[in-house]
Amino acid sequence: MTAGRRSPATLVVAGFAATAVAVVALTGPELATGSPTAPVGLPFDVPSAAHPLGTDAIGRDVLSRVLHGGRTVLLLSAGATLSAGLLGAALGILAGLAGTRAGEIVVRVVDVVAVVPALLVLLVLAAGLPGSDLAVLAGVTLVSLPFSVRVVRAATRSVAVSGFVEVARARGDSRWQVVRHDILPNVAGTVLAETGVRFSAAVHLCATAGFLGLGRGAPAANWGRMVSENAAGLSLNMWPVLVPALLLVVFTVAVNLLADDLAVRWGEA
Amino acid sequence: MSLVLLIARRVAGAVSILVVLSALIFAATEVLPGDAAGVLAGGESSQADRDRLRQDLGLDAGLAHRYLTWATAAAHGDLGTGYVGHRDVAAVLADRLPNSLLLAVLAMAVAVPAAVAAGLAAGLRGGRRTDRMISTATLMAAAVPEFLVAAVLVAVFATGLGLVPEVSLVPLGSRPWRAPAVLVLPAAALAVTALAVAARLVRASVVDIASAPYVEAARLRGVTGTRLALRHVLPNAVGPAVQVVTVMFAGLIGGAVVVETLFNYPGVGYELQQAVANRDVPMVQGLALAMCTTTLVVLLLGDIVHVLLSPVLRGRS
Repeated sequence: MTAGRRSPATLVVAGFAATAVAVVALTGPELATGSPTAPVGLPFDVPSAAHPLGTDAIGRDVLSRVLHGGRTVLLLSAGATLSAGLLGAALGILAGLAGTRAGEIVVRVVDVVAVVPALLVLLVLAAGLPGSDLAVLAGVTLVSLPFSVRVVRAATRSVAVSGFVEVARARGDSRWQVVRHDILPNVAGTVLAETGVRFSAAVHLCATAGFLGLGRGAPAANWGRMVSENAAGLSLNMWPVLVPALLLVVFTVAVNLLADDLAVRWGEA
Repeated sequence: MSLVLLIARRVAGAVSILVVLSALIFAATEVLPGDAAGVLAGGESSQADRDRLRQDLGLDAGLAHRYLTWATAAAHGDLGTGYVGHRDVAAVLADRLPNSLLLAVLAMAVAVPAAVAAGLAAGLRGGRRTDRMISTATLMAAAVPEFLVAAVLVAVFATGLGLVPEVSLVPLGSRPWRAPAVLVLPAAALAVTALAVAARLVRASVVDIASAPYVEAARLRGVTGTRLALRHVLPNAVGPAVQVVTVMFAGLIGGAVVVETLFNYPGVGYELQQAVANRDVPMVQGLALAMCTTTLVVLLLGDIVHVLLSPVLRGRS
């Protein structure tokens, strides 16, 4: 699938970049000195000593908003990845071990969810739960789930037919013991690789959700929404669009490179 | 005969998925607490006002009853009336759909040939430098969300160089193709992501095919370069390619919401985003249903073409 291993230097740079953006996003609200929501000057004012990145569409300090705007995107993507990963692993192992018929039913249900464009799921849920981050979390989880279930089910099936599972079953081990001692250790690598790929997709979706104004609404700062809020003033002060956009680009690209490497290392082992 | 049966089964499958999805869309928008009467009546309305409004809208009937009424009407082409501006949902859809399709077709026209070329170039040199460069570039491009690609394009080509408009304003009653300049950036933004995703899929299937015994045999006979690519690899990649195109199109339906919103382009995606922002429930339901239907139709067509082209599937039934 993938074009060989990437050079260690690329991976180190990607790892460093992803960590740096994550640190900014997570500790930003603690580091910020100004308020992210209070107007401090004219709209789209250019950078000055007091406001190093200038002001945004309604005269708020861009630096403070940048420092406050990353946490939601990161926590939502991590939360959705975690819940989809756990649910997906549980369902995937169940479906993989169950008889063909029960397994097929799970796959059918999963297929129905998988045909819907991801953003459509988010938009419909956001219409039902307006202004709620929970809608974004649930939406991204729901969108990620089919992929996890499919991959884990396939991995479980290939382990389940191997000799040692049959031996364990013949020995009279309970189903749970088989899962714990024989299945889980052998699908763990696949689950891990899958989680990396899912996380990068989740970051992509959560940022886009912010851009579309889904989730907790104004005046809260959000990197994705900063792009849409300030796009109109691009020619006056480009920083309120450019800084959050660059942070998101660096983070999504770095996470993707790392996830791809993880998939090569573990997925085909 | 068996082929007809196989296709009939796929169509029936798609219809049943559509029924399930329509129920899910309806449930998500009606059961979840975004109460339409509260929105319409405004923040300072009394409980009595809201109750009367609920009655007028038919919201006091049972959920199953409301779903059946809605779904039956939808099956006859009546998607109801939006809360905002009392616009007929089906009419809005009919007006916006050509604009969205135009954008999607333009993006595909750029992305498909480019993706095939890049995927072939990378896949035929599996593991070598060209491959590594193309694979890394497409991985990075596919990683970046569409709205950021679009924002960067606007910053450079509209704000910076002033070559094309920043937003795609189309006068009421006019059509975007009457002012082609407004199409350039939205189509380009859609094409970048679609191209990157598709090039990766093409590369993967080319790598598969290039290691197949018949390609190895052609290589041993001394067939190389363009001839090998066009005569031996490409024809066998038609099946996977159909799937690439359908996956691309499904991706464009989501991407269109983002790109149309950023450029204020009058398409279905833009209307859907506005409807969600305004909590216009009938509009959200109708447009979401239309997008699901479009996706299913595209996947179904891809599936049918795949069945027709694939001797294995043809024979098995």
